[in-house]
Amino acid sequence: MKSFFGGCVFLILFWAEVPFVACRADDLPERLTFINDIAPILTKASCNSGGCHAKAGQGQNGFRLSLFGFDPDEDYEHIVKEGRGRRVSPAAPEQSLLLLKGTNSIPHGGGKRFDTDSVHHQRIVEWIRRGMPYGLETDAKLVSIDVQPQQIAMPPNGSQQLQVSAHYSDGQVRNVTELSSFESNDKSMAEAEESGLIRARTLPGNFAIMVRYQGLVSVYNAYVPLGADVGTLPEPKNFVDELVFANLKRIGIPPSPTCDDATFLRRASLDIAGKLPTVEETQKFLNDTNPGKRDQLVETLLRSPGYADYFANKWSSLLKNRRDEKNDKRSNFAFHSWLRDGILENKPYDQLVKELLVATGDVAGNPAVAWYKRVKQPDRQLEDVAQLFLGVRMQCAQCHHHPFERWSQQDYYGFSAFFTRIGREPTSIVGEDVIFHRRGIATAENRKTRLQVKPTPLGDEELVIAPDDDPRLVLANWMSNPENPFFAHAFVNRYWKHFFKRGLVDPEDDFRDTNPPSNPELLNALAQHFIDSGFDMKSVVRVIVQSQTYQFGSNPNDDNLADVQNYSRYYPRHLTAEVYLDSINQLAGTVTEFIDLPIGTHAVSLPDNSYNADTHFLTVFGRPDSSSVCECERVDSSSLAQSLHLLNSQEIRKKLATDGSRADVLSRNKKTDRERVQELYLTAFSREPNEAELQIAEAYLTKPRLDAKGTALDPQKAKRMALEDLIWALVNTKEFTFNH
Amino acid sequence: MNHDQRSHCCGPVKRRDFMKLGLAGFGSLTWPGLLKLKAENAQKSGSEKTAVIMVWLHGGLSHMDTYDPKPDIGSEYRGPFDVIDTNVPGVQITELLPHHARIADKFNIVRSMYHRSADHPAGTMNLLSGDFEARGRVKPKFPDWMSVASYMRSQAEGQRTNPLPNYIGVCHPQEYIGPAYLGNAYLPFGVEGDLTQQKFEVPNVGLSDVAEAARLGDRVALRQSLDLLERRFDRAMELQAVDEFEAQAMTLLTNPQTRDAFDLSQEDPATRDRYGRNQWGQQLLMSRRLIEAGVDIVTSALVGPLCGRVANWDDHAVNHHIFNGLRFRSEPYDQAVTALIEDIYERGLDQRVLVVVTGEFGRTPKIEYDRSTGPGNASAPTGVIQPGRDHWPRAFSNLWAGGGMRTGQVIGATDRRGEDVIERGCKAGDFLATIYQHLGIDYSHVMIEDFNGRPTAIVDDGKAIPELARVS
Repeated sequence: MKSFFGGCVFLILFWAEVPFVACRADDLPERLTFINDIAPILTKASCNSGGCHAKAGQGQNGFRLSLFGFDPDEDYEHIVKEGRGRRVSPAAPEQSLLLLKGTNSIPHGGGKRFDTDSVHHQRIVEWIRRGMPYGLETDAKLVSIDVQPQQIAMPPNGSQQLQVSAHYSDGQVRNVTELSSFESNDKSMAEAEESGLIRARTLPGNFAIMVRYQGLVSVYNAYVPLGADVGTLPEPKNFVDELVFANLKRIGIPPSPTCDDATFLRRASLDIAGKLPTVEETQKFLNDTNPGKRDQLVETLLRSPGYADYFANKWSSLLKNRRDEKNDKRSNFAFHSWLRDGILENKPYDQLVKELLVATGDVAGNPAVAWYKRVKQPDRQLEDVAQLFLGVRMQCAQCHHHPFERWSQQDYYGFSAFFTRIGREPTSIVGEDVIFHRRGIATAENRKTRLQVKPTPLGDEELVIAPDDDPRLVLANWMSNPENPFFAHAFVNRYWKHFFKRGLVDPEDDFRDTNPPSNPELLNALAQHFIDSGFDMKSVVRVIVQSQTYQFGSNPNDDNLADVQNYSRYYPRHLTAEVYLDSINQLAGTVTEFIDLPIGTHAVSLPDNSYNADTHFLTVFGRPDSSSVCECERVDSSSLAQSLHLLNSQEIRKKLATDGSRADVLSRNKKTDRERVQELYLTAFSREPNEAELQIAEAYLTKPRLDAKGTALDPQKAKRMALEDLIWALVNTKEFTFNH
Repeated sequence: MNHDQRSHCCGPVKRRDFMKLGLAGFGSLTWPGLLKLKAENAQKSGSEKTAVIMVWLHGGLSHMDTYDPKPDIGSEYRGPFDVIDTNVPGVQITELLPHHARIADKFNIVRSMYHRSADHPAGTMNLLSGDFEARGRVKPKFPDWMSVASYMRSQAEGQRTNPLPNYIGVCHPQEYIGPAYLGNAYLPFGVEGDLTQQKFEVPNVGLSDVAEAARLGDRVALRQSLDLLERRFDRAMELQAVDEFEAQAMTLLTNPQTRDAFDLSQEDPATRDRYGRNQWGQQLLMSRRLIEAGVDIVTSALVGPLCGRVANWDDHAVNHHIFNGLRFRSEPYDQAVTALIEDIYERGLDQRVLVVVTGEFGRTPKIEYDRSTGPGNASAPTGVIQPGRDHWPRAFSNLWAGGGMRTGQVIGATDRRGEDVIERGCKAGDFLATIYQHLGIDYSHVMIEDFNGRPTAIVDDGKAIPELARVS
């Protein structure tokens, strides 16, 4: 794989024998050039950060630098030549504007970036004195950097000083620790100081420190062990367990015990099919004595229509199936159906993606083309494809080299070239185009260099594609090639996050060398498993949900309470808006009506975002608007508006008081209060209520109720109101609102 | 082994719960000092939190006919209104606003606002969220300043002690504005309806029905007694947040003191008269009342029937006879806005509270003529030619008061015909910066991640207008 920058992590076994130049305050290198010596200072002192002089547009206050110095030519231009060279004073170097501002000797919006007696200052002064050389072609070039030490265990609250060495083309090795930038990929676990001192906190797990110097990046991997006795681990069911347990043993985190049947039933139903189990399903499962019943449940759920609904819902939003105008309804419904049908029939993932990318024709004949309706420009198309299917956020590379990764603008535009032969012809339906391949050689213009670039898969060589060949097909084939390092990994990581709340790479669509997976062996094994299965999406769900790891309880023990990364317990999360609404309806025995859809349609089956406007519940609980390819568009945190909605909205109040609702029906039938409470608990939690809960609930149901005048209410009415209250209360318990 | 789990900010760092200064976890796109910058540090903490009231003139206020009159030019530009002196020597405004003229020493007029976004969505998104490329967007791409401020204040605050939400919209439709990638938690709490009614009640505030309130209390109590789920698993304090919001919601719904904040009948009738017994007057009175009760950000849109047929300030000739429209609305506008400004000063709120009155752009200096598309208030019958002005972002005016600033100033100037800014131009970024500065938000350095993880500045290009800075 071609790589633009040489940043990598090496173990240099004989570094003591390589010539080593240490830089002390009064020890200046023989040759001071802009490119090797001054540019790093601008990065270290943060002059060229995105909030300051590298701000998009005009920089800051008329002084513009390239982001993290990716374009030293330009930076040299701006510092030395712009404005008739007003920023540097060769005759009196200490008086240079660059230095006066940098030391805040004259007012500087950015404050003091370095002291007048610092190495940085001294170096810049000397460089100006020597005539501000840029650097010659014949100078030694920076080839790579490496970080010492390598992966180690850091005790909680421990610290470690890193050493960064820069390797040059002439064999020289310099200690550039002072000029490197350090950043933790998980600040809750460890922090990095400017000096390269790493301080671990107390959360156990794996983290990485990104090290940056002069456009090269390197990674320091470490972990904070907990060191507790993991106890007797359950027998591993599959490779997921083997690899998770290996990590747990290494870090020393004892897992929580396996969850009980009721918990597993509810959890798996919610995670796979987006719904609560029915009372019948619950009773059948709980009474089943077959030792393999959990595995069987997974198969049943995977065959259910709920699975297709729930995952079509996820992908539909990420594929921006959005209603902007009334006319969109047709194509949105068609697109959603295509997705859902594909998932229902278990179409292989690579085939689904291929059908989407290479979609040709009109919406009626080929609903997948509707994606091109939303995502129209090559820039947006490549960004969405990269983020969704490859887990790579390319956006930054459009205007400058990606700050933390190896992608350059050339990579960006090379990738966009795959989308430059897409033809559109309007049809009789406004907004719907016919999509087709326009004959011709695919190229794109790199907006920085103004040169043409041919389609280039990420990390690979430029391709020459014949005019009659659809470059999108070439792209789809490259993605589904078993050697592709992104495609399978991105998918399994996304689904891992779906079931475990935290991706092995997190955020799930932000794969970078500088954001490594917390368990690389597991990620690779999952990806290989997926590829070997022929990209069978169900096989990934199966291996995850059938594992012991997935079935750990959510109650923490004293040791694993702090674990948020290693899956020693199930991390509970709030039900999503659609699932929450459907669950409320299921418990309350009601429905929500959705326009143009049959009564009884579940929220999880809704084909597009337009229903958010009418059903305020969905907006308030964070159903995404389908504007972004990031699953983070879905709001998963609580808010005042949510609480108000549950407490006092018309929608909820009316729902609970509907005639024919469960409260109504129960109040009229001949069941005892005890049986009524049992039915509610079985529906809501897939378990029987315990004695304490029965006591509280039954007491509430038998409490006499008075009307406004003070007379006792009719017993059936009173019972109904009491049941409505009880249902409301259950709907608002954490046990209901969370999947745990 | 002693693991003190409570000693640090902890838990999975959620994108929205933690103001990030860089891509996931990798923070320092700004200087190292900002690595540790949290919202608390970004806000200068005084004993009282500053606040802002924005009065929104949806559609675009005609600068030529109000705050930036040009009495000496030709009648194709000038309009029929005379100018009057104000109580600030040398400053003249339209004769339509005599109350304004009487108290000009209490506010500042900026005459040199400008930007390049000519339609309503783009103009609004540009001015209020700094999106200078907003053309063609249906929904805002960037969060508006109100939701940013609400977000920053929420982060700084920790546990909220005041049950009132920190951002309230009084009759302010969420058109072209919104929290974008901040998420719906930062939408405003809405106060809608006819505020002139004696028995006006805000939905979700103060259940007046005692039986309803009691039932709600019963429900919550029952829920609490049944809610036995082990909370210890909640490392991210998510459950605690739910409980806090529920408590806040219950207070809003059942606490009489919270109800009072929204109860205009508790105001002196003389005050209600002074603002004007109409929707606008009562809206601005409500805004003042909420600010006094501790709300941080209140916006209120002066729209609806009081504007005229088309219900806003968008005085194209096809919509309204612009001059009849301005005459039609000048009295309630003049009265309400000046009552608010005077009230802020009289009640000693002027240090804490900034008041800004603005639309999304100005209107064409050259008067245009076209056929009315319908009869109604301030509009001739269908087909009749009437005068109007179209959108004009190149120059427009707005009003500023309170905020501890020096008042009685006119800042900036436009050319003879009111077409272009010739002095002290103020961009949308400057507008935003001025407001953020008042709120103590470090506008030139704060960055918030969008959906792609890209840190995005809250003010791309702008500086707080120095003439509007706090002097006391």
